[in-house]
Amino acid sequence: MNNVIAQLWPEIALFVTTCLVMVVGLSKDRGTRKLCAPISAIGIIVAGYLAATTSVDTATTLPFMAKYGKVLAAGVGLLLLMLMAGTADRQLEDAVDRGEKFEPLRSTRAEFYAFFLFSLMGLMLCAGASDLIFLFLALELTSLPTYVMVALSTRRDRSMEAGVKYFFLGAMGAAMFLFGFALIYGATGSTALADVAYTIQNRAAGTGSIGPLALTGLVLSLLGVMFKIAAVPMHFYTADVYQGAASSVTAFLAFVPKCAGFFAIMLLVGCAGWAFGPDGYGSGTALPPELRILLWTIAVLTMTVGNVLALLQTSVKRILAYSSIAHSGYMLVGVIAGPGPAESTLASNGLAAVLFYLLTYGVMSVGTFSVVAALERRRRATAADAAIDEVDHIDELRGLWKRQPHLAAVMVICALGLLGLPPLLGFLGKLPLFTSALGAGEIVLVVILGLNSAIAAAYYLRLVSVPFLESGEPSTPDAVVPTPFPSRALAGVVAAVLVVVAGLAGGTLGSHAERAGTFRFPTKTMEATRHASQPTSTVSVPPDAAERGPNAR
Amino acid sequence: MPTAPITLAATDLSSYLPILILVGMAVTFGVFNVVASNLLGPSRTGKVKEKTYESGMDTIGSAHKRFNVRFYIIAMVFLVFDIEIIFLYPWAVTFPNIDQSTPDALLWLGRILFFVFTTVVAYVYGVRKGVFRFD
Amino acid sequence: MNTLFCTLAQSGWPEPMPTGTLFHYLVISAAMFVIGLIGFVTRRNLIIMFLCTELMFQAAGLSLIAFSRFHLNHTGETFVIFVLTVAAAEAALALALVVLLFRRKESLDAERWAELRG
Repeated sequence: MNNVIAQLWPEIALFVTTCLVMVVGLSKDRGTRKLCAPISAIGIIVAGYLAATTSVDTATTLPFMAKYGKVLAAGVGLLLLMLMAGTADRQLEDAVDRGEKFEPLRSTRAEFYAFFLFSLMGLMLCAGASDLIFLFLALELTSLPTYVMVALSTRRDRSMEAGVKYFFLGAMGAAMFLFGFALIYGATGSTALADVAYTIQNRAAGTGSIGPLALTGLVLSLLGVMFKIAAVPMHFYTADVYQGAASSVTAFLAFVPKCAGFFAIMLLVGCAGWAFGPDGYGSGTALPPELRILLWTIAVLTMTVGNVLALLQTSVKRILAYSSIAHSGYMLVGVIAGPGPAESTLASNGLAAVLFYLLTYGVMSVGTFSVVAALERRRRATAADAAIDEVDHIDELRGLWKRQPHLAAVMVICALGLLGLPPLLGFLGKLPLFTSALGAGEIVLVVILGLNSAIAAAYYLRLVSVPFLESGEPSTPDAVVPTPFPSRALAGVVAAVLVVVAGLAGGTLGSHAERAGTFRFPTKTMEATRHASQPTSTVSVPPDAAERGPNAR
Repeated sequence: MPTAPITLAATDLSSYLPILILVGMAVTFGVFNVVASNLLGPSRTGKVKEKTYESGMDTIGSAHKRFNVRFYIIAMVFLVFDIEIIFLYPWAVTFPNIDQSTPDALLWLGRILFFVFTTVVAYVYGVRKGVFRFD
Repeated sequence: MNTLFCTLAQSGWPEPMPTGTLFHYLVISAAMFVIGLIGFVTRRNLIIMFLCTELMFQAAGLSLIAFSRFHLNHTGETFVIFVLTVAAAEAALALALVVLLFRRKESLDAERWAELRG
């Protein structure tokens, strides 16, 4: 029990910050209200520091993922926070500037930042989850706040519609993986992931398969979690929700739920293990055949559907939404490839490749979304409330190179990074996916992955070239101007610098991911240490209660 | 533990008889009153008698009025406390089994107090949000 | 007849629950889940859709409790407490969103919300 608390210090720090922000954001004084963002930033930095220094190994098949995942969440979370500037309460604060009274019931700033931190906290908990109950709560804590953030992000109907759509499909996904968790519990008699993995793999060693109940449970819970990563059977909402939400919130959606979903997928699939081969259990390094077929199909469909539909879009946010679907498909390849042989490196360990790709994808997607978020369209020269609109259509980026060269550069670097061009971070992320899948013998999958990367070039190059084109009609009444929030552009610039610098010196980041992706075969000793660390003598069950049995009252 | 034969004490039909009788009495009482008042009571109607009863005053407006959304917000605050109770029960059942002389007892108490403290945070937030102001 | 009452009252505590009974619970729970899923896909009223997701949650809760009894440990029951909490949070969220929507469009028909179509 005590080591469970010990690994929660980053989340506790974030929780304290959240409580502060909720109260501070409702202050009558405008200066105090403005403190929300700096307090959140300090909280995230402290949480990241605590995660890097105090993290302990979790009792799962991926014991070192917690530390990496939490630091990753804090790092990208900081970039996302910079992007969030001015998203909440913009019109309300403008009205207060004009001399109207501040109404706490109309304000959403406190909730917005609190939900941002809650969701980040859920992501961190996901990385450190060691129990199905824990994992369920962490996934829900990640996604419940995002529904509200989408609905609150702009004052227009389409945000509301996006929020409702996201919520209802999300609730269905949650119900699905909850039912899957129930079946997994039924099949193994425990919710601790280490016990689940031990029982399932023991059964597989004895009977040659993981058993129908565990298989159904795993399939259902994987399908439910596919919603979080926007993979194919559950991807319908993605484009609509990404387009309906404010651009900064869209960047959040593209990273945080996806990251949480992949942590959950790796923990769940890790329970079934990568020990199956042509002659059943123990003869290879592949997933159980049923799960492999399921994930294989989903990965191929997700990549292809995402890339092909992205070609047809004219809205930047929809292009990025479909590209985000496609990237989920790429990462599933790493999950299929699995940890590879023992003593594996980043190049042969598919799980490490996925963890590293999450980092690269997070940074690059923040960069691309920040370009859209840092621009806005004004219908008239005067900045009246209703005349401000989001930049959405791809032609609105025309001529960006002349007007805002730094934003155009960010777009070029990050889009090329997402494409996977060699010197950039995206290439470093994609390479291990290819090599690990090759090492696992998934030749067809690698070919499809390569073809899809080629298709993706078409729309990424379109994003790269648009800023250099002449803007069409100069006499248009709408003017695309930068937002009055410089930190949004700053987030983009930081992301672009990271894409270049980390691309040149990505070895250290890779080695962290390599360690984080270490897969440890579950043994009963792991289970024994987990119980030994708890003081068992403190809870003394009365002797007669022990005799009467569990259902005697 | 020896495998005891299946005991029938809990499943004996007679032990459910009082409940059955109670249910029967309740249903009979309800049905009897409705039927009896319809059969025995006088049924004179009129414009005033058909009116909705509103503490004897003249009724104002329609009954299909939309409620103020504030009621809904209060209901949500109630939900926080409501759900909190679910977690207090298992704790309260387990706590007496802990040896009270060890420091673990204090630790368990501290944990639940922290949990209750989170509700206080929710309450402070509600107050600042103006949930409890009716003006 | 006695066998029926034994089964209903879950007597015979020293042994695990007879498999047949667990099976019954699982069938009911699976049926609830599927009814919820079908209802979610076919209905267009937002409140009904929310009720369907709630039905799916409770189906999972039912099977958790059945499994908890089957395995003779309390883990499943503990899980259900947390599931109830999350379901309550989701209910609060869903109703808040539905109230907001209703004030904007005076309708709960999901089809009338089709500004975003791709």
